[in-house]
Amino acid sequence: MGGIGLVLNVAKDALLTQQYAIDVTSHNIANVDTDGYSRQTAVIEAKDAAPYGGFIFGRGVELNDIVRNTNNFIEARLQSGQSDLNYASEQVTYMNVLETVFDESSSASLSNQFDEFWTAWNDLANNPSGIPERNILVENGTLLSESFNNLYADIGKMTNEINNSIKTGINDINGILTKIADINMKIVAIETSGNANDLRDQRSQLVNELSQYMEVNTYEYDDGNLVVTTGKGYTLVSRADTYPLTFEGNNIILESSPSARIDITDSIESGKMGGWLDMRDDVIPEITDNIDELAKTLIWNVNSIHSQGVGLESLSSVTGAYAAIDTATAGIGAAASGLDYYDKIVDGGTFNIWVYDSALGTATSSTITVDADASMAQLAADITTITGGNVNASITDGRLNISADSGYTFAFSDDNSNVLAALGINTFFQGSDARGIAVNEGIIGNKNNIAAAKVDSSGEFAEGDNTNALEISDLQYQDRTIRQWTYSEGTAAAEDITNTTLDEYLHMLVSSIGVKSQSMQRTMEYKETIQNELTTARDNISAVSLDEEMTNLIKFQQAYTAASKLISTADEMLDTLLEVR
Amino acid sequence: MRIASKTIYDRINTSLQGTYSDMFDAQEVVSTSKRINKLSDDPVGLVTVLDLRSSLSNIEQLGKNVSMGSSWLTASESALTQVDDILTDVKALTVQMSSANTGSSERANAATLVGEYLDEMISLANSQSGGRYLFAGTNTDTAPFALNETTGEVDYSGNDTEFSIKIGSGTNIAVGKVGTEIFGENWDDDNIFKSLVDLKASLENNDIEGIQDVMGNLDQHATKISAEISEIGGKSIRMQTKESIIEDLKLTYTDRKSQLEDADVSEAVIELNSKQLAYNAALTSASKVMQLSLVDYLSA
Repeated sequence: MGGIGLVLNVAKDALLTQQYAIDVTSHNIANVDTDGYSRQTAVIEAKDAAPYGGFIFGRGVELNDIVRNTNNFIEARLQSGQSDLNYASEQVTYMNVLETVFDESSSASLSNQFDEFWTAWNDLANNPSGIPERNILVENGTLLSESFNNLYADIGKMTNEINNSIKTGINDINGILTKIADINMKIVAIETSGNANDLRDQRSQLVNELSQYMEVNTYEYDDGNLVVTTGKGYTLVSRADTYPLTFEGNNIILESSPSARIDITDSIESGKMGGWLDMRDDVIPEITDNIDELAKTLIWNVNSIHSQGVGLESLSSVTGAYAAIDTATAGIGAAASGLDYYDKIVDGGTFNIWVYDSALGTATSSTITVDADASMAQLAADITTITGGNVNASITDGRLNISADSGYTFAFSDDNSNVLAALGINTFFQGSDARGIAVNEGIIGNKNNIAAAKVDSSGEFAEGDNTNALEISDLQYQDRTIRQWTYSEGTAAAEDITNTTLDEYLHMLVSSIGVKSQSMQRTMEYKETIQNELTTARDNISAVSLDEEMTNLIKFQQAYTAASKLISTADEMLDTLLEVR
Repeated sequence: MRIASKTIYDRINTSLQGTYSDMFDAQEVVSTSKRINKLSDDPVGLVTVLDLRSSLSNIEQLGKNVSMGSSWLTASESALTQVDDILTDVKALTVQMSSANTGSSERANAATLVGEYLDEMISLANSQSGGRYLFAGTNTDTAPFALNETTGEVDYSGNDTEFSIKIGSGTNIAVGKVGTEIFGENWDDDNIFKSLVDLKASLENNDIEGIQDVMGNLDQHATKISAEISEIGGKSIRMQTKESIIEDLKLTYTDRKSQLEDADVSEAVIELNSKQLAYNAALTSASKVMQLSLVDYLSA
């Protein structure tokens, strides 16, 4: 076809095409703020030419395609960067919480309580029979214990919060997986005939959201189907099928099929999930374990000195602070006994019990030799027999109880078997870790039982004696062997032996939290910079520039005006022709 | 290069937030005048700060211990100086009373005087500091010396361990004394009380020989007491030295802690100002850039 008809046809196509181009432009302008939207371009091409009257005439314009402007390489980098950034930022969030838990600027901080505790022992050594000094010591001991207890509780709360986040996160992930599978189907259906640009944008946005939770890999089939796998290659979505995650116990399970359930907890190393899991399984347990070691060492060292001393008065009854599970058969020096400090008991060691007869005013000493392989029941029987009848040892609820007959009292001295401290007899603290540490009930009930003094070789002891208090207050200067735990991902916790004072150990621990937090902040800042650069690079390709769209709008508008001018010209030409008679 | 509209807004956001958070941090340093506000601000410096804080608390406690020890030593010194004075007086009295010119009635009077000296001596041996007995070993709650009316001897009820205080890591210093080490272990010639009791009896019995026997012992006692006084003096000097060392350490530690922990206020204020300036600049440039758009230049 040629002639005016051709002009009209070309004009019609041009009008339509420019109109489509304006449609695309308006879609772009409308989505200038839409997250994940990729700018679309109308691909306009000249129509195939056709021969007419011996010449080849162009036949106008047509809209060939509407394409998204994306760069798959940058998109993939952005996704993995998203995982890294979210990993770091979640860790920073929780490290900030940890930093406030260990707030060292407050007077209630653990290291301050330590200082106060030692001060109280010093004050007692200066005035051994003073009641105010004893009250303050119990008060400070309780505050120190509570600081430990609160730390433990606060850190425990963090673990719960993290588990809640993981649960919500898994729900989110499963929702995203279903949506991706949905969109997969739609894209396949649409792309038999054209481009599903906006659906593709939505799908990459979903994959992006998924990457915030964990690192994922994607692979696209020719038909537009997207397969999403975990970083380690377990399939999450393929075509319309999803493989949802479940949270069971403390683990994340991927259900490949009802029969194949894979625990992927340890393989998630990035994204929010990776951050939470690292925090929950490495960072927090390391701190808790080390705090426990500190509490355990403090309790043991104070108790082992305290248990060998004597208070303002001798005892008429004392009950152990530590309970055994097996009192009848297991040796007290064996783990089977269930005693917290079973390993401290020295086989063949001895301790003295002084029995005071108030009527006669005499002091009689009995030396008990400890057999670590013998049961607690055996020890109780030995104590009763060897002390000669006026002092009776028995076991209640796994605890050793020693009571004197009326008119008799008793005290302890020279324990090199450690059995008194291990059973919690005449100790200052009870408990064996950060959660359980507390001042012994026997001390709180009767502050005269604080053992500032020692029984001398003739069985005598003085209220004004401070020898035991001096020994305890010297603990703050002494290096102790304390275990230090290091947790790292994928390996068992490593144990290190340190030789420091209790204070120094605590300071090291506190600073290690600061170091970790600082390095995480730096990692986050670095990842943020990279992510910003990548986002800019992506946006330079894919995001909408209003200036550009406005220019295009005018360009297409003018083309549209020109095309309509074509029609009026063709119309005039036809009129001219029709006027010819 | 093609710049998307979103990029401009993202940039503005990032830079405003960045400069704002810098300004916030600088403000916190100024308002707390502390350089380390969070553990992560300077974890390495923090360990030192925590160590210094513990050391300071410890040093303050040692200061308290030392000043208590000093007061014990001062009290002991003054008690023993009085003991020495009494011994000198008694010595003079014995010299006078052992003279053949002295009559029995004068000796009887002197016996009363010696009785009073004995009471005073016992009361000095029961000297206290802050309610605790100085010469009772660690049995510091009970008066260590008392005249036993039946035996006529002065009994010791303290024990044999010296009362110590802590003046440093693993360093205890005895500030109290075991009374028997000063006044005599057994009821024999080395016992100051026995000398006075014997003297009193000899004076009452007009026994010149007995008086002369005591005279020799008195010299030994005086030597012993002088030695004790000088030992206590030595300890006092040690305490004073310790006290000034503690004061010095306190200053040094406080200084070092402050260097690590405290912010240089003028520097912090300048830092805050420069952050404010940066924030201002970011705001101004943002407001300028945000206004620009081709849309504004196209007529409808």
